[in-house]
Amino acid sequence: MQPRSSDGPGRPPKKYYSARKKFCAFCKDKITLIDYKNHKNLENYISETGRIFPARVSGTCAYHQKQLSKAIKRARQMALIKFSEEKKRLS
Amino acid sequence: MTSRYEIGFIVTPEVNEEEVKKITESITSTITKAQGVIENLDEWGRKKLAFPIHKNLEGYYVFVQAEVDGSVIATLERRLKQMEKVLRFITLRLDDKLKKSNKLTKRWAKIDRLRKKTMDSREEKESEDFNENEEDSDATEK
Repeated sequence: MQPRSSDGPGRPPKKYYSARKKFCAFCKDKITLIDYKNHKNLENYISETGRIFPARVSGTCAYHQKQLSKAIKRARQMALIKFSEEKKRLS
Repeated sequence: MTSRYEIGFIVTPEVNEEEVKKITESITSTITKAQGVIENLDEWGRKKLAFPIHKNLEGYYVFVQAEVDGSVIATLERRLKQMEKVLRFITLRLDDKLKKSNKLTKRWAKIDRLRKKTMDSREEKESEDFNENEEDSDATEK
């Protein structure tokens, strides 16, 4: 079978994207201790509704994910990060 | 046994800044009285809370890092609990984490050194190969 070309009839060939490999942002910057007071950075690792992203989504390594979850929970205790928020709906 | 601790607390927005300073002074003085050393004092001032606590939308944030005996921290916790002007507080021990972080930095330094070595050796090899190729091409021309 001949490969479809964009010049010929029919649909153009489907483009396949290879997913870029995720990496731990903390390992890259060589951060050994994640501080709960640095809430602006922690907000990158929580969803719109306030849930912590799993490591498979954010790409953080196990060592840092453990620290990160603890830091987020401490920040919540000190009212630096929201606990939860209802999803805003478009009515 | 002394170790490093971090104490953070939020004071209600109803009081003015002088009273906040009084509370921080009372805490720092108890630490210094027990032969502790205050390493860092962070005063963020009036800040908006992420969610209301007892119908308060703002609060004064204060963080103290000190090296003291553990028993002093226990008494401080008891006192902070009784204070009505303090909305929330948190106490943490930092020693174990610092030890772990030092280990990790050492490991990363080792990895970096090894990586540099391998890269250097690879570059040398590549340069050698390049030279060999040049020699070969010269030979063929002749």
